[in-house]
Amino acid sequence: MLGLNLRSHRARILSLFACAVVMTFTGITTHAQEVIRFGAPLPLTGALAPEALKQQQGYDLWAEQVNKAGGIKVGNKKMKVEIVYTDYQSNTPRAVQAAEKLITQDKVDFLFSPFGSGAAKAASTVSEKYGVPTIAATASSAQVYDQGYKFLFGTFTPNDTLTTPLVDIVRQKAPGVKRVAILARNDLFPLALAQEMEKSAKQKGLEIVFFEKYAINTMDHSTALSLIKAQSPHWIFATGYINDLVLIKKQMGDQKIEAPVVTMIAGPAYQEFIDALGKSAENISSASWWDKAARYKGQDIFGSTENYNKLFREKYKSDPDYTHASSSVSGALFQMAIEKAGTLDRNKVRDELARMNVPTFWGPVKFGPTGQITSLEPPVFQIQNGKAMVLHPASIKQAEFKLSVK
Amino acid sequence: MLVIQVLLNGIVLGSLYACIAVGFSLVWGVLNVINLMHGSFIVLGSYLAWGAYNALGLAPWTALLIAAPAFFCLGYAIQRGILNRVIAAPVLVTLTLTFGLDLMLNNAMLIGFKADYRRLILDPSLGTVSVGSLVVPTDRIVATIFALLLTLVLYLVLRRSRIGRAIVAVRMDRDASRLMGVDVPSIYAITFGLGAAMAGCAGVLLAMIYPISPIAAGSFLGKAFVVCVLGGLGSVPGAVVGGLFLGVMESFGSLAFGPEHSVTLSFGLLILFLIVRPQGLLGKRGFE
Repeated sequence: MLGLNLRSHRARILSLFACAVVMTFTGITTHAQEVIRFGAPLPLTGALAPEALKQQQGYDLWAEQVNKAGGIKVGNKKMKVEIVYTDYQSNTPRAVQAAEKLITQDKVDFLFSPFGSGAAKAASTVSEKYGVPTIAATASSAQVYDQGYKFLFGTFTPNDTLTTPLVDIVRQKAPGVKRVAILARNDLFPLALAQEMEKSAKQKGLEIVFFEKYAINTMDHSTALSLIKAQSPHWIFATGYINDLVLIKKQMGDQKIEAPVVTMIAGPAYQEFIDALGKSAENISSASWWDKAARYKGQDIFGSTENYNKLFREKYKSDPDYTHASSSVSGALFQMAIEKAGTLDRNKVRDELARMNVPTFWGPVKFGPTGQITSLEPPVFQIQNGKAMVLHPASIKQAEFKLSVK
Repeated sequence: MLVIQVLLNGIVLGSLYACIAVGFSLVWGVLNVINLMHGSFIVLGSYLAWGAYNALGLAPWTALLIAAPAFFCLGYAIQRGILNRVIAAPVLVTLTLTFGLDLMLNNAMLIGFKADYRRLILDPSLGTVSVGSLVVPTDRIVATIFALLLTLVLYLVLRRSRIGRAIVAVRMDRDASRLMGVDVPSIYAITFGLGAAMAGCAGVLLAMIYPISPIAAGSFLGKAFVVCVLGGLGSVPGAVVGGLFLGVMESFGSLAFGPEHSVTLSFGLLILFLIVRPQGLLGKRGFE
């Protein structure tokens, strides 16, 4: 008797639970009609986690601002936004699966690319297949966009837009600089950037005395640096991510390698890089796609660079860098395209993105025929007194270029 | 001159590799447990050094005095409380268990410390030692000396002390040593504790050299594997020889084939040794 009671009790609980599950799911379906879902596959754990967390902060800030303002205007109604994150653990093949899962299972309306050029390129095949407009917030290499895809857009200009102004500044301010040593991480973006640097430098008559790659996960650069030292270059140009570059600079100090010009991309734009190196970061030059010192007025939800910086500081108690800003602007661009299209129809939103020509807090945005932005002038900067100071373009210049990195 | 500089780079790097690997090798050799938590222990040790320096102003070599007992207790507790329950099971079971524990420890560090890179910047910095055009950074020399000292202490403990002899006895023949009255579970726990203490101390020393982040754990573990196979399992001198061999090979590999191939070279050596000399440089054939 007792057993029977228990069993029926259990059955009741089970049916209640089943009802709850059904209600939740139907809840989601009705919910989904009022919410625009954006998929964001990110390497939230693993080697690329620091960068992924920046992207997440950028997307979250945008979503928060949109929802605070009542949502995105689609035709006559306002729809809130929701960002669906999937962690692909810094594993590129998994980034592709994550993108596919977001589209087919989570039913997102639009997609942000995974981190970096390599993963963005890999995942773009999936979004193209399903016809989902996708914005890559952190992919600069031209090879990502040269596949003839219609649905992929990117907010970073090609790599040569970083290296050309750098070479121009150095040629102008330090005509004695002739011998260039390049050390590149053997990875899509850092290597492509190093190759662009080689091209830009050769075009301007500089001599490349050393060009070597180092493997991902390299724990020691001493031999490569000894070889560089033996060449006594005037300009050391190293590419990689923040951990690589911190280690390279530390080991340069260990071997007493000094040069008039030392350039590192991409790390010095991050405050963590400056904090990790202290005084030895002084006078390292770099370039990125945006800097908080920019002063753009925009038609996007953030309105201006100043306002973006302010909102970011309020939310995260730190200053934004280009990864944060690029992620936020990617959301803002989707928002403008959707509002202009007046519908969530993916093809129409895609067309609006392709047609877009607007000022934003990130700078003027216009995508070229491949989908990659063509309208930006990326800033060149240098670490002076523990701060990243903009050297170029002239409109936002904060300091003069200084020689000698110790 | 360049060749001598490269050799010096290799020797210093090799000593660090030895320091990374010695605890791992001990645990693998004695317990037949592949401790996948080893890399995370090293990173945790680095965080300890970083915290001790920034909060209490303790230099890393002083922090060793905290790290060694703290990590010994941690290792002892993990072995006694968790690993001992499956120690008799096939190696795959303990491997999976340490894999799971490592995921937990590593993700706990990711939550606690974030994935950001931190660096322990000694102020004033230790500078460099230079003879002519040859330069060696002092922090690496200090780390090398302490690493070799710790390894020597471990070697002496194993050779001279009663517990050390018991550990070696268990490594050679578990059943026979049990018959001789050795408390095997407790020796296992002590060995695991020693392995963890060596990893923690390695982490403290490496904090002076490498940027600290939970995601570096995998690289340390990878090196420990290679060094163990090169040097021979469970042998303290083996870890030192294996580490030095790897460090020097990688340095000359970078010189000869370019820096991009140094990692390839180390894993190439791993495969070569597994085929040609699976017992390693100093290992004895027949020990599991």
